[in-house]
Amino acid sequence: MPAMPRRKRKQFFVRRKVCRFCVDSKLIIDYKDAATLKQFITERGKIIPRRISGNCARHQRSLTRAIKQARLLALMPYVPSPPPA
Amino acid sequence: MRHYESVWVVHGDLPDEEVKSAIDKFSKIITSQGGVLFKLEEWGRRKLAYKIDGTLRGYYILMDFAGTPTTVRELERNYRIDDRVIRYLTVKKADKVDVAARQAEIAAQAQAAPAPEAEAPPAAAEEAAEAGEAPTAEEE
Repeated sequence: MPAMPRRKRKQFFVRRKVCRFCVDSKLIIDYKDAATLKQFITERGKIIPRRISGNCARHQRSLTRAIKQARLLALMPYVPSPPPA
Repeated sequence: MRHYESVWVVHGDLPDEEVKSAIDKFSKIITSQGGVLFKLEEWGRRKLAYKIDGTLRGYYILMDFAGTPTTVRELERNYRIDDRVIRYLTVKKADKVDVAARQAEIAAQAQAAPAPEAEAPPAAAEEAAEAGEAPTAEEE
């Protein structure tokens, strides 16, 4: 048996990420639905990467497209306006 | 014929008559180009996510129609010419569309009482909600 590292292995839970669009077929990606798309951008307005959101490649692609279309129509911001001070 | 959907935004500071005439004009363009307009949905005045042409308000209109690539080309050409239109986006929904079936579908939706009509108001409600509440947490 190989020597174990002296320190106890840090325990952390990897929560299995699943593509929300695969799980819930009612949840559809639509550029007109800014409320849903908003869940997939950061507060800076950036699109959340797949490794964080857990989306599958296919859905991430269509999501990215939808977000960009929504941005064009000013339904979503490219860069969020600063909160009123 | 192909199935398209076109969303366009009219400058929000324009009076209603201007908006009406723009809607008239563009729906006529579709029909004059051999297209069939299935549905015209007005989302009304909404807050833009960013400033366009010095305004933060825009009047959104969605057109669901069947047409050919020529229809779209002509429609988009006119969007670009018309100063009232500040944004447009045309999306192809399907390569083929059964015109009669789609018309029946739309009619059925309209028949289904005020339910489809309720589709428009949420947009306004959503806008109001956006202003107040913080970004919704990414929760299941």
